[in-house]
Amino acid sequence: MAFQSTADNIKDLKASFSRGKLTAYFYLLPSGLFLLVVLGFPILYSVFMSFQKYTLETLVSKQTEFIWLKNYTDVLSDPAFATALKHSLVFTIASILFQFTIGLGLAILFTKAFPMSNIMRGLLLSGWQIPSVVTGTLFLFLFNLDYGLINFVLTSLHIISEPIGWIVQSDTALTAVIIANIWLGIPFNLILLSAGVTGLPEDVYEAATVDGANGLEKLIYITIPLLKSTILAVLMLGFIYTLRVFDLIWIITKGGPGSATEVLPTFAYRLSFINFNFGRSAAVSVIMLLILLVGAILYLRAIMSEEKL
Amino acid sequence: MKEAHIGTFVRSAWGLITNTIFSTIFAGRYERGGTAKRARVETFARFAIALLATVIYLLPLFWMVSTSLKPQSEIFQTPPVLIPEHPQIDSYRSALGLPTDRPELYITGALYFKNSFVIASSTMLLTLVLAVPAAYALSRFNFRGKTTFMLFLLVAQMLPGVLLVIPLFVLFKILGLYNTHFSVILADTALALPFAIIILRTSFMQIPDALEEAGLIDGATRLQVLWYIILPLIRASLVAVGVFSFLTAWGEFVFALSFLAKPELHPISIGVFQFIGMYKTQWDTMMAFSTLVAIPAILALLFLQRQFISGLTSGSVK
Repeated sequence: MAFQSTADNIKDLKASFSRGKLTAYFYLLPSGLFLLVVLGFPILYSVFMSFQKYTLETLVSKQTEFIWLKNYTDVLSDPAFATALKHSLVFTIASILFQFTIGLGLAILFTKAFPMSNIMRGLLLSGWQIPSVVTGTLFLFLFNLDYGLINFVLTSLHIISEPIGWIVQSDTALTAVIIANIWLGIPFNLILLSAGVTGLPEDVYEAATVDGANGLEKLIYITIPLLKSTILAVLMLGFIYTLRVFDLIWIITKGGPGSATEVLPTFAYRLSFINFNFGRSAAVSVIMLLILLVGAILYLRAIMSEEKL
Repeated sequence: MKEAHIGTFVRSAWGLITNTIFSTIFAGRYERGGTAKRARVETFARFAIALLATVIYLLPLFWMVSTSLKPQSEIFQTPPVLIPEHPQIDSYRSALGLPTDRPELYITGALYFKNSFVIASSTMLLTLVLAVPAAYALSRFNFRGKTTFMLFLLVAQMLPGVLLVIPLFVLFKILGLYNTHFSVILADTALALPFAIIILRTSFMQIPDALEEAGLIDGATRLQVLWYIILPLIRASLVAVGVFSFLTAWGEFVFALSFLAKPELHPISIGVFQFIGMYKTQWDTMMAFSTLVAIPAILALLFLQRQFISGLTSGSVK
C-alpha cells in the first residue's frame, strides 16, 4: 500500500505536529472566537446582569446599578419561583423515568432480531428530529377536550369515564406536557441505550439462561450493573436536556393555565420578555445553570470512566 | 371502519400487550418445551410487543397526516375517523397561503417556509465553515488547552436556550442585529456548532495520518491536503453534520421568538401560531402546516439514520 506508515515517517509526523502548534490555534481561532462571543459572552453577561437592577429603562438609558444579591434574594423568596422549581423537578423526573424505562425496554427488545425488527426500530426513531413546534401543535390537538384522540382512546378503554380538558385544566396540564415530552424523548433514549445494550457480552446471558434466570432477573442482575456508566450518562443527559425544555411547554400551554405548567425556563423567559425584569430573570437563569452544572459534572464523570477524552 | 373502529382495535391491542409482556417476563418459568419452541415463542413475543409499541408511537404522527387530509366535518366526528373518507388537500394550499375557496384569513405560510429555509441553510453553511477547521485541529494536533476546549464543547451543548437568549437579546440590540435573520443565524449556529465539531473530530480521527503525510511530502499545503484529500473522504459525515445543523435551525423556537418582532421575518416555528385560535383553530390547516414542517426531519432520518445514530452515540456516551 502506498500510504503504509513506517516508524520513520511517524517520527517525522510527530515532529511536524509539534511544529504545528501554532497551526492548530490558527485552525481553532474562528470557532473559538465565535463560541466566545455567542456562548461565552452571554454566560458571563448573565452573571453580570444578575447582580444588577436591569430593566427596560436600563436597556434605554444604559445606566446600570449594582444591587449584588438582591435579585437572588428576591427570586428565592418569590413563591412563584418555588412553584416553577417544583414543576421543573416533577416534569424532569417524570419525563426521564418513563423515557428511560421505555427506551431501555425497547433497546432490550431489539437486541435479538425478529421479523421486521429493523423496520420497526427505524420507525420508532422517526420522531427524533421533528421540531418541538410540531410535537407541540400535534399534542395540542391530541389532548383536545372534545375531539382529541387521547380522550377518545382513554374513554374507550374505560380508563377515564368522561373526556378530560387536559390542557385547560390546571390539575392535568402538567401531566399533558409530560406525556408530550415523553413521546419526544423516546428515540433519544432508545438510540443511546441500544448502543450500550448491543455491546454487552452474549455469553453472560447464555450462562444465566442455563442457570434458569428469567428475563427480569437478567435485567436486574446483568444488564443494569454492566451498563452502569452508560445508564448514568443517559440519565444525566436526559436530566440536562429535560430541565431546559422551553419550546414544547411554551407552545402547548405557555406555562399555564395559571402557573400550572410554569417551569424554570418559562419563568425566566416570562420575567425577561413579559415583565422586562432582565436582572431577576438572569438570576433565575444562573440558578438553573448551577443545577445543570451538577448534572454536567456527573455526566462527564460517567463518560470519563468509560473512555478518556 | 365505521363502528367496529379504533375502540375495538385499542382494546384487543391492549389484551395482546398484557399477554405478551407477561409471557416474556416469565418465559423462563413456565417454558417446559424444547429450546426451538421456546425460541419461537420468544421471537413472536418480541415481534408482538415491538409492533404494538411502534403502532402506539406512530399514532400521533399518523393522526397528524390523517387530520391534515380530512374535511372539517370528519375532524369533529365522534367516534374519530382513522383514515379520511373524503380526503382533501385544500388544507395544504391554505397552509402555504395559496388561494382556496374557504372563508379564511390569508396566512403567509409560504413566506414562513422561505424564512426558515434562509435561516436553516445559512446556519448549516456557517456551522460547517467554522466546524471543519476546528474539528481537524482537534483530531490532528496536541496542544495546550485541548482538553479544556473539548470539555467546553461538551458543556456548551447543554446550555439552555433561555439562558442565552436574554444576554444575546441585549447584545443584538446594541449591535443593531435585532430584527434581522442574521441574529437568529448566529444564535442557531452557536447551538449546532459544538456538536458539529465533536462529530467531525471523530470522523477526522478515522482517517490515517499517513494520508496527509503523503500529500505534504508531495508539496501540498496542509489546507490543500485538507480540502482535496481529507474532506472528500469524510463526505458522509459532512452531509450528516450539515443536515443536523440545518434541522437545528429549521425548528428552532426561542431565538426566533425573541429576536424577530416583524411578522415578515418570522420562521415556521413562530408562524404556526397564526393557526391557533384566530377565530377557532383550523386544525386541518395547522396539521397540514405541521406535516410540511416535519417532512425534512423525517426525510433526513430516513436517509441518514445510520450517520445520525453513530453521531449521537459517539458524541455523548461512548
